[in-house]
Amino acid sequence: MTQKIPKKEVKIDISDGAAIPVRKDLGLFNAWWMTFFGAIGIIIYLCAVKPDPYWRILKFLPDGILVTFQVTILSILLSLVLGLITGLGRLSRNRLINLIASTYVEVIRGIPLLVQLFYIYYALGRIELFKDLPPLAAAVVAMGICYGAYMGEVFRAGIDSIDKGQTEAARSLGFNRAQTMTLVILPQAWRTILPPVGNEFIALLKDSSLVSILAVSDLLRRGREFASESFLYFEAYTMVALVYLVVTLFLSKAVSKMEQRLNYYERD
Amino acid sequence: MFKRFVVVLLTFFCLTGSALAKDLVFAVDATYPPMEMVDAQKNIVGFGPELVAAIGKAAGFNAVTKNTAWDGIFAGLAAGKYDAICSSVSITDERKATMDFTDPYFDVKQGVIVAKGVTVNSLADLAGKTVASQIGTTGYFVCKKIEGAKAKSYDEIGLAVEDLYNGRCDAVIADDAVASNYALQHEQYSKKLTLAYLITPEKPEYLGIAVKKGDDKTRELINAGLKKIKENGEYDAIYKKWFSTK
Repeated sequence: MTQKIPKKEVKIDISDGAAIPVRKDLGLFNAWWMTFFGAIGIIIYLCAVKPDPYWRILKFLPDGILVTFQVTILSILLSLVLGLITGLGRLSRNRLINLIASTYVEVIRGIPLLVQLFYIYYALGRIELFKDLPPLAAAVVAMGICYGAYMGEVFRAGIDSIDKGQTEAARSLGFNRAQTMTLVILPQAWRTILPPVGNEFIALLKDSSLVSILAVSDLLRRGREFASESFLYFEAYTMVALVYLVVTLFLSKAVSKMEQRLNYYERD
Repeated sequence: MFKRFVVVLLTFFCLTGSALAKDLVFAVDATYPPMEMVDAQKNIVGFGPELVAAIGKAAGFNAVTKNTAWDGIFAGLAAGKYDAICSSVSITDERKATMDFTDPYFDVKQGVIVAKGVTVNSLADLAGKTVASQIGTTGYFVCKKIEGAKAKSYDEIGLAVEDLYNGRCDAVIADDAVASNYALQHEQYSKKLTLAYLITPEKPEYLGIAVKKGDDKTRELINAGLKKIKENGEYDAIYKKWFSTK
C-alpha cells in the first residue's frame, strides 16, 4: 500500500524555515552568531544614533510582534493536530480515510497560502458559519489548515521511518494496532518528527506576515501603518525586517538546541 | 479570435503611434470607485482617470495611467517610477512635506458607512466600536483620532466594506463619493449598509494631483490643463457624468 522507505533512520529536511545551526557545521554556526548579534547591534545602533524615526518605530511595533506570535503559536497547535490526523490517515489501510487525507494534502499544497487566506477570510466570509469568525481566528484557521497538510507529510514520513520490526514485535506481544501506534511507534517517531516541526514553526512565523492582508495588525501591518503615515518607508521596513530576523534566528537556535537534545543516539 | 487579436493590436499601435505628445505617467490605485477603478475590459476608468486624460489633452501631453497599489504609491513617486499620482489623494500638510500638489480638483468630506438602522450623529457615537478604513488614507487618520474607537486598516477600501457587510467591523470611513457609491448605489451593499454621517472637517479637504517634490515643470503643466478644462466646461461635464446623482 504505502511505500516503505528502506532506510532505518530518515532525516527529514525541509529547508523552508531558517537554516538551523548545527554544532558540526561551524561555518553556519558562525554565520548565525554574526547575523543574530549583527541584527541586534544594528537595531541598538539605529535607536541610539537616530532615535527620532527608529526608536519611535520600535515602540510602535510590540503589539504587532505579540499578534505575530499569537497567530504563529495557535496555528502551529492547530496544524499539529491536523498533521497527526492527516499523517495517520495517509498511512491508514482504510481506503476511504486514506483518500480523504491524501486529497486534503494535494488540495492544500496546490494552492498558495495567500490565496487560501483570501479564500477562507473573504470568500467564506459570506457563509453564516464563518461570518462570526474574528480576523485572528480566521487567520489561524487558514494558516493551520495550510500547514496541517505539510505537517501531515512530516508525520507520515516520521512514522514511516520506524522499522517494521517494531510493529511486528509489538503486535506479537499482543498489542493491538492502536496500542502499537500510540505506545510503540509514535514515541519513537516523535524524535524524527520534532526537528522538522521546529523548522515548520519558523517557516510559519515568517509566513504569518501574510495575515496582514486580513487587516490583522501583526508585525508587518504595524510597520506598514507606520510607513504609510510618516512616509518613512526605508526606516520602517528596515526595522520590521530586523525584528523578524532577530526573532527567527532566536527560534532557529532554540530548535537546534532541541534537536541536539533529542539526538541521544548520535551524540558525539 | 485571431482576427480580433489583430484588430486589438492594430488599434494599440495606432493609439501609440498617434501619441507624439509627451507622455506623463499617472499612478492610480484603481480600487476606489467611482473615483478610479478597473472596468470589465480591464481599463482604468473613473472620475480621476477621465480628468487627467482631459487635462492632458488641454495641456498638450499624453496622460498614461498606471495601476499601482495604494500602500507604497507615495514611495514610488519619490523613487521616480511615475510622474504624478492622481488617485484621490487628499492634500494634507504631512503629505506636502514630502511631495508637491497641483491645484485642488475636487473637494471631499469623509463619510461614515454603517449598517442600516445604526444612527451616527457625531464621531463620539463611534466610541467603543471597530472603525475601519484604507491604510494611509485621510479616512484612516480620522479613524485613529476617534476617541475610544478601535481603528483597523485594510489594503483596499473594498475589503473594509466587505468586512462591514459581513459584520466584522462596525463602521467604515472613506471619501464621501466613494462611501456613497458603496453604501447607496452598490446593488448588494446598499441593501444592508447606509451612509449615515458626513464628517464636517475642521478645514476643507481637497484632492490634488501629487508630483515629486520640486517638480514644478510637471505641476505647472497639469495646473495649466486643469485651469483650461475648468474654464471651458469640460470639468463640469466629467463631474456630471460621474456624480450625476448628487
